Amino acid sequence: MTSAVDIASSFIQGAPPGELQEVVKDIKTLTSDDDPALIAKLNPAFERYNEEQMVTVKLPGSSDYVLISKHNKLSSASSRYYDTQTSTSFEFDHTSSKASAAQSYTHETQHSTLIQSILKSLAAHFADHYPPTTASAYTVCATPDDDNQVAVLLSTTKASPKNFLSGRWRSVFLYDPSTGTLGGEIKIDVHYYEDGNVALTTSKKIDSVSVGSGADGAAIVRKIAAIENQYQEEVNRAFVGMNETSFKQLRRQLPVTRQKVEWEKVKGYSLGSDLKGEAKR
Amino acid sequence: MASEAQFDAALDLLRRLSPLKVSNNLNAITTLVPDLTEDLLSSVDQPLTSARCKKTGRDYLLCDYNRDGDSYRSPWSNEFDPPLDDATYPSDRVRKMEVEANTAFDVYRQMYYEGGTGSVYLWDLDDGFAGVVLLKKSGGKEAGWDSIHVFEVDERRGSGRTCHYKLTSTVILHLGRENEAVGSLKLAGSMTRQVEADLVVDNVGGQGKDGGHVCNIGRLVEDMEGKMRNMLQEVYFGKAKDVVGDLRSVAPLTDINQERQAQRDVISSMGK
Repeated sequence: MTSAVDIASSFIQGAPPGELQEVVKDIKTLTSDDDPALIAKLNPAFERYNEEQMVTVKLPGSSDYVLISKHNKLSSASSRYYDTQTSTSFEFDHTSSKASAAQSYTHETQHSTLIQSILKSLAAHFADHYPPTTASAYTVCATPDDDNQVAVLLSTTKASPKNFLSGRWRSVFLYDPSTGTLGGEIKIDVHYYEDGNVALTTSKKIDSVSVGSGADGAAIVRKIAAIENQYQEEVNRAFVGMNETSFKQLRRQLPVTRQKVEWEKVKGYSLGSDLKGEAKR
Repeated sequence: MASEAQFDAALDLLRRLSPLKVSNNLNAITTLVPDLTEDLLSSVDQPLTSARCKKTGRDYLLCDYNRDGDSYRSPWSNEFDPPLDDATYPSDRVRKMEVEANTAFDVYRQMYYEGGTGSVYLWDLDDGFAGVVLLKKSGGKEAGWDSIHVFEVDERRGSGRTCHYKLTSTVILHLGRENEAVGSLKLAGSMTRQVEADLVVDNVGGQGKDGGHVCNIGRLVEDMEGKMRNMLQEVYFGKAKDVVGDLRSVAPLTDINQERQAQRDVISSMGK
């Protein structure tokens, strides 16, 4: 039998962008009778969710967002993260989704020159493509543990409960300076929930695209921008294709006759030959 | 005992979690709160499955309304599979209407879906009768449509020639693309709408007023499905696409802002 912690953790994992607190509220209502201490046991699930979703959070006293991921975590045992753009580290409470105790911090890495170079170009790319109306952030950091690669992360969340809408775009790029290649993944989630529940989930893996070894920040960001743009155009094309082919083939807007069914005469139609043949299929 | 607040929380959760995992999430919720099982199963719509009628060889759709224990009733033969000794059947009058409705919606399905599977089930109520119209069409692995229209006809409520109809319709629609260029893309979910109406019941065909009921239900479902198709199109291909554009702009925002500023400049210079 699956435990309540496992079940609640799976609900957290499935929370749409910007709707985590609503999901937690539902979990509390569903479980309150038996296990008021349950939420305290869910911290690992919150941590996993926040890091995978690359949620964005404002530092205390700041209007800019920073993002949470496993790449910019100080150590796997702590819940401190750092941001290379603002040169700060901060504590993140995964259960309440609040940042605190920010302090000046510079990460030791062999890639610090490259990281600064990427950051410089990324700021312009970010301003060009990520609208300021959403909760968006980016960061560049060396991969923890091995320090071999440079992670370029972009995340943006739109939450509009009034319109029953939410969405998130996540880009994860890993640049390997030794081979000059870029890999990663882009994911989009959109949720619409007015008198219904409609979700768009996409994911696209990027496999070792060559940028050239010794590439500078500008070249790497140019490649990232090209990959992101091309992907977004493919997604837009998929929308058009699904509307014009798949959707139309499921149900017609009107019958071939361009007229609604004459229900009083329906028996007459059904005695027609072609319908009878079809019915046996 | 499960509380009403828990039932509402379960529905809210199912409205938020992935529509592609409704049945998993339903199982998970009822594992947490077993008392909710029956209420949730009868109020949460899931994609329909079908079975082949042993007597007529025709496919029919399965749902909670034609289920008795582990058996399902075929609308074509009126028999349960596996057979049951003490099953509940619709009354003779309601079964006649059910046969008529299945014939009528078979034509409807042909005209709008050009294929697919359909079934109508009716049952008796104290003040009238109720039923469900089910329609299903698949477009390979990448597309599927399920319509579930549950209606109630209150024959006591109404003024003389009219009866009161209530319809709750859900359409479950899933679409997807999986290829090198786009990776994996899934656009799936469901929408639900309700309508109530007092309608005149005319005499139609050999069954008189009962024939009129089938026509009224037909028109209600046809109108609702047409509206819902438009709504789904708007949400799936309009709203969802717009949100992607809100998250990230393909065109550089600096260019867009410059253009807007230029437009504002033109407009303000014209006003001078």
